[in-house]
Amino acid sequence: MLDQTVTSGAAAPEPETGTGSRGPRARGAGPSRRGRQVRRREGLAGGLFLGPWLLGLLLLTLGPMLASLYLSFTDYNLFTAPEWVGLDNYRRMFDDERYLTSVRVTMGFVVLATPLKLALALGVAMLLARPRRTQGFYRSAFYAPSLIGASVSIAITWRALFSDDALLDRALQWLGLPAGGWVGDPSRALIVLVLLSVWQFGAPMVIFMAGLQQVPQELYEAAEVDGAGWWRKFAHITLPMLSPVIFFNLLLETIHAFQVFTSAFVVSSPNPGSPADATLVYTLYLYLRGFADFRMGYASAMAWTLLVAIALVTLLLFRTSRFWVHYADGGDR
Amino acid sequence: MFMLRRVTRRGVAAAAVVAMTATLVAACGDDSGSGSDGKITLRYSWWGPAERAEIMNKAIARFEQQNPNIKITPNFSDYAPYWQKLATETAGGGAPDVMQMDYTYLSEYANRGVLLDLASQVDKNIQIKELLPGLQDVGVIDGKRYGITVSGNTFALIYDPAAFEKAGVTVPDAWTWKEYQDAAAKVGKAVKDDKMWGATDYTQITGILETWLRQQNKELISADGKLVVSKEDLKAFWEHGQRMRDLGAIVPQSKVAQVAPKSAPGADLVASAVGIDTYLTRYAGETKRTFAIAPMPSDDPNNLGLIFRPGMLLCASSKTKNPDAAAKLINFMINDAEVGKMFGGNRGLPASTIQREAALPVLSPQDQAVLEYENGISDQLKPAPLPPAGVGPVDAAFLRIGEELNYGKTTIDKAVDQFFTEAEQALSAS
Repeated sequence: MLDQTVTSGAAAPEPETGTGSRGPRARGAGPSRRGRQVRRREGLAGGLFLGPWLLGLLLLTLGPMLASLYLSFTDYNLFTAPEWVGLDNYRRMFDDERYLTSVRVTMGFVVLATPLKLALALGVAMLLARPRRTQGFYRSAFYAPSLIGASVSIAITWRALFSDDALLDRALQWLGLPAGGWVGDPSRALIVLVLLSVWQFGAPMVIFMAGLQQVPQELYEAAEVDGAGWWRKFAHITLPMLSPVIFFNLLLETIHAFQVFTSAFVVSSPNPGSPADATLVYTLYLYLRGFADFRMGYASAMAWTLLVAIALVTLLLFRTSRFWVHYADGGDR
Repeated sequence: MFMLRRVTRRGVAAAAVVAMTATLVAACGDDSGSGSDGKITLRYSWWGPAERAEIMNKAIARFEQQNPNIKITPNFSDYAPYWQKLATETAGGGAPDVMQMDYTYLSEYANRGVLLDLASQVDKNIQIKELLPGLQDVGVIDGKRYGITVSGNTFALIYDPAAFEKAGVTVPDAWTWKEYQDAAAKVGKAVKDDKMWGATDYTQITGILETWLRQQNKELISADGKLVVSKEDLKAFWEHGQRMRDLGAIVPQSKVAQVAPKSAPGADLVASAVGIDTYLTRYAGETKRTFAIAPMPSDDPNNLGLIFRPGMLLCASSKTKNPDAAAKLINFMINDAEVGKMFGGNRGLPASTIQREAALPVLSPQDQAVLEYENGISDQLKPAPLPPAGVGPVDAAFLRIGEELNYGKTTIDKAVDQFFTEAEQALSAS
C-alpha cells in the first residue's frame, strides 16, 4: 500500500525529469516514420503492462464502488433484492446514537494518533539521519513494526500487554500510578489502539529520512556560520524544507487513521467495539451494520459518507497547506 | 529503496485519492460446483472449536465410507465469522449444501427462501422419530420443515461447590432470585482474596430476561416478531441486576472483557453463573476448578420458565443439486450411533435418543451432571418458541447496553429507551 502511494507521488509529472517517449521528438525535427512506429509499439507495450492493473481497477475497485453507491440508496439485506429508499439511509445516520458514537471515537483516534505518530517518526528519522555504522540496523528495527503491526497476532499481543496484571499494569503499579488493565476500561481502551498505531511509525519515518537527505547541507552550514543553534536550524531550515514531506505524511496518515479497522476489531474481540463502544471506530460499526445486522444499504451509505468526510478533511488540509508548505518547485503557482 | 525525489502538490493529491478509495472496496464470495467424476460433492459448513473439527473429520470419513458416491467438502469457522461468511455466500447464491444453523437465525434464513423444505425427506432419508419429544417439531415453520435439531439444552445455575462451601452457603432444592443474590454476595465476600466475585452479570443475556419474564407468565418478543415486554418490566429486571451489583456480587465488566474469549467462570473470576447448562463442560475445560449445577432461581417454584432449547440445527440449501444426499448427511450426523459416541457432549447433549444412549458411556462427569439435571426437570421444560427474524441484532443490542449498565456508563431509564429504540428497529427491518 505504502510503496504504491509513494511511487505514485514520485512518478507525478515533473518537467525537468521528463524522458522516455518524449526522447525521439526532442532529438529530431518533427516525428519521423520510425519514431511513430516506436511510439506506437511503446504505446502498445504500455497498454499491455497497464492492462492487468486497469482490469483490476475496473472489476475490483470501480465496479464494487459504483455498486455500493447504488446500494447506499437502497434497503438491502443480502438475501432479498435491494429496495430503493432514496436518502433514507443517509438521513437515519444522524438519529443513530451508535453512529454518532462511532464518529466521536474515530475523531478521537485520528486527532490523537496522527500527530503523535508523525512527531515520533520525525524525531526518530532525525536521530537516524546522521550516517553511522549501526544505521542500517536501527532503520530496520524501527521499520519492522510497520511491516508486522497490521497483523492479527500483534493486535492479540497488544491486547495481552494492556490487560490486568500484564506488563503495563505492573509497571504502573510499580510507579504507584492508578493500576488496572486498559483493555477493559472504557475511558482508556482507545489509548491502546492509539499506541498500537503510533508504534507503527516506520513508514512515515522512512519518508522523513528520504526528505531529510534532500535538505541542502549548505543551508545548515550557512546558519551555523551565522551562529544558529539546534532549535533555530530545526525550526527555520528543517521544518520549512521538509514541509512538503510533512504534508504528504500528514495527509496519508490522516486518511489511514480514518480507516483504522483491524486493530480495533482484534483488540475488542469477541465483542467488536467493547468495552462499552469505547473502541467502536467508524469502519468497525460499518462492518457490524453490514455483516452482523445485514444492513448493506446502510453500511454502503456509511462508506460513502466516510469518503466524503475524508475528502473534505483532505481539502481542508490542502487549503491550509498554502500557509505552511513550501514547495521547492513553487507548486502549481 | 524509496524513489522519493521531490514531493509535488499534484503528486500528493494523487496519493491521497488512492488512499481514500480503499474503504469503498467490498469483498466478494466464491462459488464451487458439484462433482464431475460421477461422484456427488456436498459442501458442509459448521461453526465450532478446533476439537469439533477433528471429530467432525472422523465422522465425515465414516460417512464417505458408507456412501462411496458422496464426497464431503468440509468448512468450519468460529461462531461470529461463520455468520458473516454464510451471509455473504448466501447473497452470492452459493450457500453450502448442508449447514449448521442456530435457532436464532432460522427464521432469518428460512423466510428468505435460503433453506430447503425437508418435509418430503422425513421418513425417507431422515428419521425424526428418535428425537426427544420436545425437540421433534423444532425447525418447522408454517408446516415446512427447514431444520433438524442436533442437540438440546436449557438454562441453569452453574456454581463452584468449593467456593460456596467456603462461604458456608448450602444450595437448596429451590430458591428465589433474592435468595440467590444474597448467597452470591456472601460467596463473593468469602472468595474476595482469590480475586473472585460471586456471580456473572446475567442481566446482559436476553435468554435470562426471557426466562425471568416467563416465570411471571410474560414475554419479551411475540411469535409474530413484536417487542411485547413493557418498559416497566425491563426496568424492573435491570433494577434487579443493579441490586446485585450494589451488593458487590457481580464481577465488573472490565474484568470479563479482558479474559475474553475465555469465559468468566473459566478464568476463575466468578463462583457462579446463570446460563446455558452445557457450558458446564466448557468451564470445566478452561479451569481446574470443578463446577456443579444448582436449580434455576425463580420466585414461583412451580414455574422455572425454562424451555428446551435446540442447541443447533442442521439445514440444507434450497439450491442444493443433491437434496437426497444432503438429507442422508443430516440424518447421519443426527442419528448415527457411532457419531454420537465420537462427539459425546461436544455438540451439546444429543437430541436423538440413539445418539444419547450411544454417548452415555463416554460422557464426561460434567455432561452426565447436565443430563441428570435435564432429566430431573424434564416435566418443567416447555418447547422452545421460534425466534422471529431480527432477534440476532436484538440479542447483541441487549448485551451491549447491559455492559454499559455494568460499567455505569448509562442509567437504567436511558438504557431502557435505548434498547426499545434499537430492538424495535431491528424487528421491524426484518
